[in-house]
Amino acid sequence: MRKLMIFLYLFLFALVALSQQRVLQIWAMGEEAKKLNVMAEKFVQENPNVRVEIQAIPWSAAYDKLLTGIAGGQLPDLAQMGTTWMAPFGAIGAFEELTPYLAKSFIKKETFFDGSWQTVTMNGGVYGIPWYVDVRVMFYRTDILKEVGYERAPQTWDELYDVAKKLKARGEGYYALSLLFTGVFGNEFMPFVWQAGGKILDEKGNVRVTDPEFVEAITFYARFFWEGLAPTAGGNLFQDFAKGTVPIFFSGPWMVRMIDEQTPEVKGKWSVALMPKKVKRTSFVGGCNWVIFKNSKNKDLAWKFIEFMTRPENQIEWYRLVSNLPAVVEAWNFPELANDPMMKVFRAQLEDAMSPPNVPQWEEIATAISRRVEEVIFKRRTPQEAANMLKRDIEKIVRK
Amino acid sequence: MKTSKFWVFVFVGPSLFLLLIFSIVPIFASFLLSLTNFNVYALVDWSRARFIGLENFRDLFHDELFWKAFLNTFYCLSIALPVTTVLALLNAVLLNRKDTRMKNLFKVCFFLPFVTNTVAIAIVWSWIFNPRYGLMNWVLGLFGIRGPQWLSDPKWAMLAIIVFVVWRGLGYNTLLFLAGLQNIPQELYEAAELDGANAWQKFLYVTLPMLRPTTVFVTTMMIIGYLQLFEEPYMLTQGGPMNATLSIVLYLYRQGFKFFKLGYASSIAVVLFLLIISLTVLRLKLSRE
Repeated sequence: MRKLMIFLYLFLFALVALSQQRVLQIWAMGEEAKKLNVMAEKFVQENPNVRVEIQAIPWSAAYDKLLTGIAGGQLPDLAQMGTTWMAPFGAIGAFEELTPYLAKSFIKKETFFDGSWQTVTMNGGVYGIPWYVDVRVMFYRTDILKEVGYERAPQTWDELYDVAKKLKARGEGYYALSLLFTGVFGNEFMPFVWQAGGKILDEKGNVRVTDPEFVEAITFYARFFWEGLAPTAGGNLFQDFAKGTVPIFFSGPWMVRMIDEQTPEVKGKWSVALMPKKVKRTSFVGGCNWVIFKNSKNKDLAWKFIEFMTRPENQIEWYRLVSNLPAVVEAWNFPELANDPMMKVFRAQLEDAMSPPNVPQWEEIATAISRRVEEVIFKRRTPQEAANMLKRDIEKIVRK
Repeated sequence: MKTSKFWVFVFVGPSLFLLLIFSIVPIFASFLLSLTNFNVYALVDWSRARFIGLENFRDLFHDELFWKAFLNTFYCLSIALPVTTVLALLNAVLLNRKDTRMKNLFKVCFFLPFVTNTVAIAIVWSWIFNPRYGLMNWVLGLFGIRGPQWLSDPKWAMLAIIVFVVWRGLGYNTLLFLAGLQNIPQELYEAAELDGANAWQKFLYVTLPMLRPTTVFVTTMMIIGYLQLFEEPYMLTQGGPMNATLSIVLYLYRQGFKFFKLGYASSIAVVLFLLIISLTVLRLKLSRE
């Protein structure tokens, strides 16, 4: 009898404790979802009466899952959001506008890199908080570039073209750099436009793809294919890099670890460098942001979690866990980032990085750009013709 | 009588119900959607979609990429259909011979591609087609032929897809033909032999006419299947290069599930539906004459 009483007592106690516990639901994708619980545990230690529920969603299913979630109103409090998805979902009106929260928080615009902050703002509102960043830099084989007379990475467009010519001249089956030419490659192509000083849309919403800068970028990009400097035959990035047949490519921080894992034989024979300069050295910045959904009942708690994740010591902790680069500038002062020669390059590139315009039709625009640039690569159109067609395409997309 | 009807519904009901929910209703829904400008904004708030009559179809008619997808799909159909039919029939005839050994092994080999996951196969084929490290060009190289850059050359990409599609469809159609062959009564061949027919004549005057129902079925199913070409280009090329492998369904997918222009995508679906219906009816009409 007594045992039963104790049991009942404990049961009631647990019930009361549970009912006081607040639940924060988070959707996270990919590798992040697997490791986020480490951060969540730390968060719970600080906020004992909170329980964090993390739902892992594979990247491949994430877009559909979010969309059906929005359509059906079945959403968590908080989610990880790819930067290029901010606009389409933001335009639907799924995200909470965060300006009121920012007013009473240590989080400010200046906390983050400019390019990264750009991805959370739309029409003057703030719809997310940057979490981590991906920025693209130039990966190159130091030994092979040395062979053709380059002690350091090509710094300008002219140097890149020059080194490409020399690398190609090594013989049949040798190329200089790998660039995408099929599928949707807006993220790969746009840095060249920005480097030339061009843009897709201006502040007034005019389509600017027929500007000489944009056309120049198309020409520069396509010329690598016309002259056989970039392979059109799909090889294998890692094999080609290790063999030295394609010693330059542009990619993000995840590649640092992947090269070491996939082709350990070239360790010490490669490095990273800033994007080549035309008038600027701008690169593409992506990554992920945090968003709070409008219909969440725990917005204060969700914001607390965002603040927690934004603290520099937690940003660096996250870097240690999955090697995602911190979006918070201050986190880069920790020695493991500040003293790593490769990370220094990423840090410098982050100062000059942009993201595509935050418009809901970005996917469609990127597809149109890829289609027209591809036509130039295959010499079906001149760069100017392609730009004229592209202008019409984009105007049609934006008008709708 | 009444009770039997009741029992019919008890047994057929569940599957009829599922058919209704997952096939009939969506078909009518997409007919309706094709008349609207339903897009990503309307997904949250249906009131943002408007009926726009036949505007989608008018746009589609002027859509260069749709026509490209249309031609690509028919290109695939026009080559894959005869090639698959002839090869499948040939395989079936060989498998049906009395003195063919290890029949079951061959049957399994032919049929395996059909039951294997397309995604897995596509990854293997993307390696086979790799111009620098791939099996295809290595084999061609043995004969002194320098293979093309299969998947990244606009001239060859669709052909590469067709090779893949034919290879994949072969097993299933071989099996259908084999079943058809086994249904031909042996007496007919014996009679033909008595009349002095040789092997070729037996094939031409006994096998082919007797196989006719199978052939009609096989080709009709193939028309329906190949017009819905999707997985192969989606996995191997995503429609590229230069949209050379963009198929109708892939274009529909792109409009509907990447750009979320569900109204426009539905109008493509409606056109495809009408296309398939009319070709199927045509095929069946031809076979009756």
